[in-house]
Amino acid sequence: MVSSSRVLRAVALALRIALGAVFVYAAWTKLREPWELFAMSIDAYKVLPYWAVLVVARTLPWAEMLIGLALMAGRWLRVSAAAASLLLLVFFGLMVRAYAKGMQIDCGCFGLGDAISTRTLARDGTLLAGSLFLTWMSFPGRRKAVT
Amino acid sequence: MKLFALALTALLPCLAASSDAGPGKSMGSPNAPVRIEVFSDFECPACKGLHERILPLVFKDYVIPGKVYLVNREFPLRMHQYSREAANYATAAARLGKYEQVADALFLNQLAWEANGKVWDTVANVLTPVEAKKVQVLARDPSVMSEVERDVEAGMAAGINQTPTMIVTHGTSRLPVAGAVNYNLLRSLLDGLLK
Repeated sequence: MVSSSRVLRAVALALRIALGAVFVYAAWTKLREPWELFAMSIDAYKVLPYWAVLVVARTLPWAEMLIGLALMAGRWLRVSAAAASLLLLVFFGLMVRAYAKGMQIDCGCFGLGDAISTRTLARDGTLLAGSLFLTWMSFPGRRKAVT
Repeated sequence: MKLFALALTALLPCLAASSDAGPGKSMGSPNAPVRIEVFSDFECPACKGLHERILPLVFKDYVIPGKVYLVNREFPLRMHQYSREAANYATAAARLGKYEQVADALFLNQLAWEANGKVWDTVANVLTPVEAKKVQVLARDPSVMSEVERDVEAGMAAGINQTPTMIVTHGTSRLPVAGAVNYNLLRSLLDGLLK
């Protein structure tokens, strides 16, 4: 009989690799295009001043890449999982706000052509839930389950 | 507006120059290094913003100097009751070289005709009686209606799922720019492509 901790460990490992790959892919879809396109997606949410839009558009894809690679490699797990959760929490909050306000905008998650909808909300909500679980698992007492 | 009218007159020979764009719906030189196809819906508020605030700047800074070739395409969304009718009228008016005037009027009075459904009254206001008669007939012409449908199909093939969306083409790269964009960012993008 397979023990529950072993199953939990396998789930957490798969989750870590999958979440890392999602972050790397999200970063790559932004970095392969001119940065202005991602800046336009951020600007469409109407929450940041122009200077902040420029800063976020130029730095966030690199942060996503770093977090994704760290998750996949299993390095700095507490920090990378917590950072992923924090980012996803912010993204999800902004998307819910935009959807509730009826803003017909691109979510800016994976490059372009991804308008905010119940589908994108469900997708990001699932990612957030997975990331929160991974963060919880990566803290003392649980750490050995994911590495 | 005066500048816009003058430039439009100067560019009239180019209006029907494109082979794939509908007659009278493109502006600038087809040989410009960057091409922007604007897929919009006359009933969409963000399209109104793009048309009234951003496109005149693009026209002044990039189309007139020959850097950008601007192509208007129709993408009436099903959720909008009158946008297909408006697109048909605008496309019909384009056959008479009156696309911009009709598009300006439709966007300017968007809230009114969206509420009362009097699309034709808005269109007729900017046409002479002779032009109005021709546009009314042309709007029911199968070639005009199929032109609108071709634009919609081209948009769907390009993966467009919201309006407005601009497809910015430079060489082999095609960049979709969706929504009501910030002109500073669009200018930065275009300048980067034109370097």
